[in-house]
Amino acid sequence: MSDFENDLPDPRQSKFGASKDSKPLAEEQIFLDYFDGNSAIPRRVELRIEGAFLSLTPAEGPQVRWHLADLRRVPDQAGGKDASDIVLALTDGSAQRLYIPADHENLANALSMKTPVQSAQPTVPGIRYKLLGLSTAAIASVAFILFVLVPVLADQLAEFLPAEGEQALGDVTFEQIRTALNQDAGGSVQICERAAGQAALENMTARLSKHASFPFPLKVHVLQHEMINAFALPGGHIILFEGLIKSADTAEEVAAVLAHEMGHVASRDATRGALRSAGLIGVLGLVFGDFAGGTLALFLANQLIEAQYSQSVEVKADNYAARLLADAGLPPEALGVFFRRLRDEFGDEEGLVAHFSSHPALRDRMQAAAEAGRRNENNPTSSVLTVAEWADLRRICG
Amino acid sequence: MARPLRTEFVGDRAGLFRFGMKLSALTVLTLGLYRFWMKTRLRRWYWSAIRPGGHPMEYVGDPLEKLLGFLIAVVFLAFYIGIFNLILMFLSFSFWEGNFVGYAASFIVIIPVLFFAKYRARRYLLARTRWRGIRFGLEPAAWRYSMVAMVLWAITLLSAGALWPLMTFHLEKFRTNRTWFGSAKLSQGGRWYKLIVPATPALMSLWISLGLVAGFGATEDPAFIGGLFLSLPALGVFWVYYRVAAFRYLQSNKMIGDDVAMTATPRFWRIFGIYVWGNVAVGFILGIVASVVFFVLVVILLILGFSEDLSDAPVYLAFPLGLLGYFAVFVFWDILTQVFVRMPLLAHYAESIGITDPMALSALSQRDRDAFLDAGGFAEALDVGAAI
Ligand SMILES: [Zn+2]
Repeated sequence: MSDFENDLPDPRQSKFGASKDSKPLAEEQIFLDYFDGNSAIPRRVELRIEGAFLSLTPAEGPQVRWHLADLRRVPDQAGGKDASDIVLALTDGSAQRLYIPADHENLANALSMKTPVQSAQPTVPGIRYKLLGLSTAAIASVAFILFVLVPVLADQLAEFLPAEGEQALGDVTFEQIRTALNQDAGGSVQICERAAGQAALENMTARLSKHASFPFPLKVHVLQHEMINAFALPGGHIILFEGLIKSADTAEEVAAVLAHEMGHVASRDATRGALRSAGLIGVLGLVFGDFAGGTLALFLANQLIEAQYSQSVEVKADNYAARLLADAGLPPEALGVFFRRLRDEFGDEEGLVAHFSSHPALRDRMQAAAEAGRRNENNPTSSVLTVAEWADLRRICG
Repeated sequence: MARPLRTEFVGDRAGLFRFGMKLSALTVLTLGLYRFWMKTRLRRWYWSAIRPGGHPMEYVGDPLEKLLGFLIAVVFLAFYIGIFNLILMFLSFSFWEGNFVGYAASFIVIIPVLFFAKYRARRYLLARTRWRGIRFGLEPAAWRYSMVAMVLWAITLLSAGALWPLMTFHLEKFRTNRTWFGSAKLSQGGRWYKLIVPATPALMSLWISLGLVAGFGATEDPAFIGGLFLSLPALGVFWVYYRVAAFRYLQSNKMIGDDVAMTATPRFWRIFGIYVWGNVAVGFILGIVASVVFFVLVVILLILGFSEDLSDAPVYLAFPLGLLGYFAVFVFWDILTQVFVRMPLLAHYAESIGITDPMALSALSQRDRDAFLDAGGFAEALDVGAAI
């Protein structure tokens, strides 16, 4: 199809369409399919370039003239890797179309140089402002739902959850956590129940809970896992990891952690958390959508939000623990001592996992514990466990 | 009367592969934000490949419009899903002491929204589709569609699947009778019971499979499980057969306006072959690519000096590398599926469609632009959009 090569001005040298006189692009005429945007019937038109205009002349009916500057190519067209067909449209968004098959190579090339690749549909008027406003509104309202509505509602509903329901929630959550830990540890995570250790743990629990009242009977478990962590679940479950007991220097440090978790039980923090995550996971899944690895982003985001929530809750549990320890005749500063040693041993990042390290307020918490210890200076304190009991507790998992 | 008009498909695999790789890379790099552009651009490409009578279809959707619609949908759905799930979980634990009822209810509650979203997405898609410069359109009826779909689903489930053809036919009719091309309204002709015969083999396999499962539940005899190894693949094959036959029947009984009829002749064995060989090709290539990616990652870790035990590799290294490998494989899988399964399927279906008496199209004229608010955003948010 090089017949009209000589007649077509080279677009790279001369300005295409700059000449004033009308001329056909080739010795032979070029006929193309044109659609007027009103009828579905194709019209064969003869294409000419007249100055800065494309003129389309049908066999009968009026001529159409398009200014070259008003032309846009419809982008992302399929069809062959070398040359693809060109669909020409106008920038004003009208539905008129001109189809130029790829075999009109020179014409196609010339027009390629001339007409920018751009969406044939001009963007919806004002869409950028609308978009800006709406994205702000969307982010604001999703944030409102995540950080205000869901937590407030969860807090309110947690008050009305019957004790049986809360126990069921706790049992379900406990199983979920064990499953997750099993996958993590690549095996099964056992509940440690050696009788002597169990007895020591019960003594410790009894000493503390004598001075407190809980909505449910406490169920304190030790899980065989190296993680240095502990947490409370709905329905009075408290879980201590073996790693935590092993890394404590004294029984008082374990008692301090236990008292902290009792604070969570007393204020039903875990119940709120479980209800909250029921709402949160749905919303986050929505925002991240089907994008590759959405689940992962989901998990990370959920972690972040959980950490956010826990800040004030942790401080409250610390205060509760300090009071409870003092009432039970135990040193309230033990929690701070434990944190400090863990930090010195493992640094801020590693070792101190989950909610002990999920926020930067650790220093404040250590200071608060030391403060509580000073206030308690005049009260006599005694050991929480005998030396033998403490040894038993450390061997609870065998 | 003019010759009937056939449809060409001009898309090529290599072009789609390159295009898809580029778009996916951008999507990954923008943490998913580019997916609105990716979807729009892929649609433009696919639409332009379908050429009834030699003239390409055109998709004129705007990515910004799509992003906007998604944001609107997120606001509505965040409220709906977040607050609703919370209350459901609360009720579930309060009254049933477990989460099962909550999950079940949360699933049931979302079903009408899924149908709603599907119809809205189709409406947006048609409103942004043109052929020969003429717009398509779908009348607004998303909530009605949702109700009708749920009633038909209930009937289908109550009849143990026997009335599946009734559902197939009436849902298609609901959509078709509200579809426009320019000023011409489409209409679905035919009778639903004509789909019973093509559905019979699939339904038989379904019932045999259910019977085998029940039999195993009652007797725990492993012979029943052995039977499933025959009945389930049969169900898959006959299911495809039904889909093809239903498509052929439904398309062949559609009219555009009063004078233009449609024809469709997709062939079952061709479609079946694409499913089988396309997926085999995807699996094969993906297996090779995944091995290479894994190998490269291991080599990188080894070079960096974690020679004795790879599990010693610190989290800050292993995690991003693993993530990268995961993305690479996932993205690649999606593109390969497009190239080897979805595009050939679309090509075959498109090429099988014809229009009788195209000159009668001269009677129709343009229709107004359907300004859209959510641009398929609900379907996007709920992940029920079309594959492309
Ligand atoms: Zn805590």
